Amino acid sequence: MSFKSLLARHEAVLVFVILFEVILFQVLGRNFLTERNFSNVFRHSVEIGLLAVAMTPVILTGGIDLSVGSMMGLCAVLFGMMVNALGMDPWVAAALAVASGALGGGINATLITRLNLPPLIVTLGTFSLFRGLAEALTKGAESFSGFPASFLALGNSTVAGLPAQIWVFFAVAAGIWFLVHRTTFGRSFRAIGYAPEGARYAGIPVARNTGLAYVIAGAVAGLAAVILVARLGEARANAGIGYELLAITAVVLGGVSIFGGSGTVFGTFLGWIALAILNNGLTRISDFKIMDQTVASVARELSGLLTGLLLLTALAIGASIKTLAVRRARQQPIPLSKPDPATP
Amino acid sequence: MKRKSFIVSLLILAALPLASCKKSEPKGNLTIALLPKSKGNQYFVTCEKGARAAAAELGAELLFDGPINSDPAKQNEIVENWITDGVDVIVAACENKDSISTALRKAQEAGIKVVTYDADAQPDARSFFVNQATAQGIGEQLIDTAAALTGGEGEFAIITGTLTAANLNEWIKFIKVRQAEKYPNMKLVDTKPCDDQKDKAQQEATNLLSAHPNLKAIIGVCSPSVPGAAEAIKQAGKAGAVKLVGLGLPSENSAYVKEGVTQAVILWNVEELGYLSVMAGAALAKGELAPGATEFTAGKLGKMKVEGDNVILGRPFVFTKENIDQFDF
Repeated sequence: MSFKSLLARHEAVLVFVILFEVILFQVLGRNFLTERNFSNVFRHSVEIGLLAVAMTPVILTGGIDLSVGSMMGLCAVLFGMMVNALGMDPWVAAALAVASGALGGGINATLITRLNLPPLIVTLGTFSLFRGLAEALTKGAESFSGFPASFLALGNSTVAGLPAQIWVFFAVAAGIWFLVHRTTFGRSFRAIGYAPEGARYAGIPVARNTGLAYVIAGAVAGLAAVILVARLGEARANAGIGYELLAITAVVLGGVSIFGGSGTVFGTFLGWIALAILNNGLTRISDFKIMDQTVASVARELSGLLTGLLLLTALAIGASIKTLAVRRARQQPIPLSKPDPATP
Repeated sequence: MKRKSFIVSLLILAALPLASCKKSEPKGNLTIALLPKSKGNQYFVTCEKGARAAAAELGAELLFDGPINSDPAKQNEIVENWITDGVDVIVAACENKDSISTALRKAQEAGIKVVTYDADAQPDARSFFVNQATAQGIGEQLIDTAAALTGGEGEFAIITGTLTAANLNEWIKFIKVRQAEKYPNMKLVDTKPCDDQKDKAQQEATNLLSAHPNLKAIIGVCSPSVPGAAEAIKQAGKAGAVKLVGLGLPSENSAYVKEGVTQAVILWNVEELGYLSVMAGAALAKGELAPGATEFTAGKLGKMKVEGDNVILGRPFVFTKENIDQFDF
């Protein structure tokens, strides 16, 4: 059984998980399969989707980026300050916020690739650093609002039947997919994650390519911050709190190995959809009763529990399919020990 | 295999918007959605208790949901989900004024009536704000309670948060006005800031007690000042001799109140705030409360005053030794 088809199996598992969720929430919930709710599913999770697709190259190289959620907070605040205090055009400010994100990613990249520090430790540091900076800039309490309607449309309007920001997500996801799966440069991510030494001997500029994965993650975090601000109409230091873990969950759920070296952007995409539907679906179960107790009051609390269950179940199913396949492959040579009269 | 799964998932995605089949069953009664700043906070759990009572009286369905962490996007998502559900009324306590206003405006566009309580949104994002207490109500209740305890005479001091806090200064202003008007035999000897810290309040109270041996009462206008001053009075052995009243949560003061160090804690009745907010939302939906109204009938609370676009809960509630155990926020 080839490696590629194993991956395909993981994605097939995810497709069934998604189907199961859709049927479950349609039966138990109210207004689940409606146009408005369909928009909500994506509108509310685009930021996490962006972080997840940008996190994929990082995890493929065998790294991790815990700082993207905090980066969103920092970029949101910077964006707010540029528009409100400096009177900048929101689109120029948005571009600068994305650039700031890339710069922040560059700090991660430098520390990780030049000083050879572990990504977990470096981004744990910048996780606190970026959030702390955002809080310091706003003294923890200040927030920015009053953005022009043309900018808020990015977060609240509909383009061709879908929320405006989903098109931005599609563009970014397609770009990262192309990079990872269709360019030599992007393929090096998996090579680095699979065997960094081997990649180096193969002539891949490991440090440069690894570093770029963090820069991309930072820039996309900046973009996610801009989209979040456009949706909420307010920029605050606590934007994106906890999003890094949800993004990592989507990536791992999508079948990307946390040790690096294997996984696909499409897998991450499916992992993100499964998470987004779960979180939205739980809020749809608002008049479902168990023992005269309305489930509405616990739905949100269940979301963490079920996210964990979903992740572990999907990984367990994926792993057992893999184990079974390996066992079957091992069993195959057995007939060879007893010579088959039919074979020459 | 891979291509097949890709096609299957595309089909699912394509089917999602098309399959808009399940509609919410039409309900005869109102569906009212109550949004707290955060769900686990005892203050809002108490609001919910009052809100449930109001919904039961109205025969309305009450949805209660709120964020459980500090993600600022959560309140908006909850409101947008309620828009999808087609609720009739949203009653919201706003954590982030500007961002929640974005979602509340969308709700209004969808024909949902919006009322805010506890913390207001932008005025154009809601019809009415249920105001838990006016500055005048708080100031007057504080000085009236202190006067009742001291017999309306003697020296008193105020411990405030910071000397620049606008709301606290507003309350102190009304304390002074009321005292000059009704209690001419009382004398304000000092106003000290505690920087919203309990231990600073304790220190300031200790200083006040030694600087003014004839002090009859201390009024704490910020919540850390009340337990702080109580500790100072207790340690100075002046419990009962120097009366202490202040603004704060019953729970953080109940020990001192029961010991007789703090005589009264003042806060609005939180359960009634939840009750009134739901009643106001329902009245708005039924057309009984419209812009320009000066009063409306809120169930068991009777006629409530409306000032502009503020529905006023009325005078704050006084928590004493006798009743403090009935409240758990």
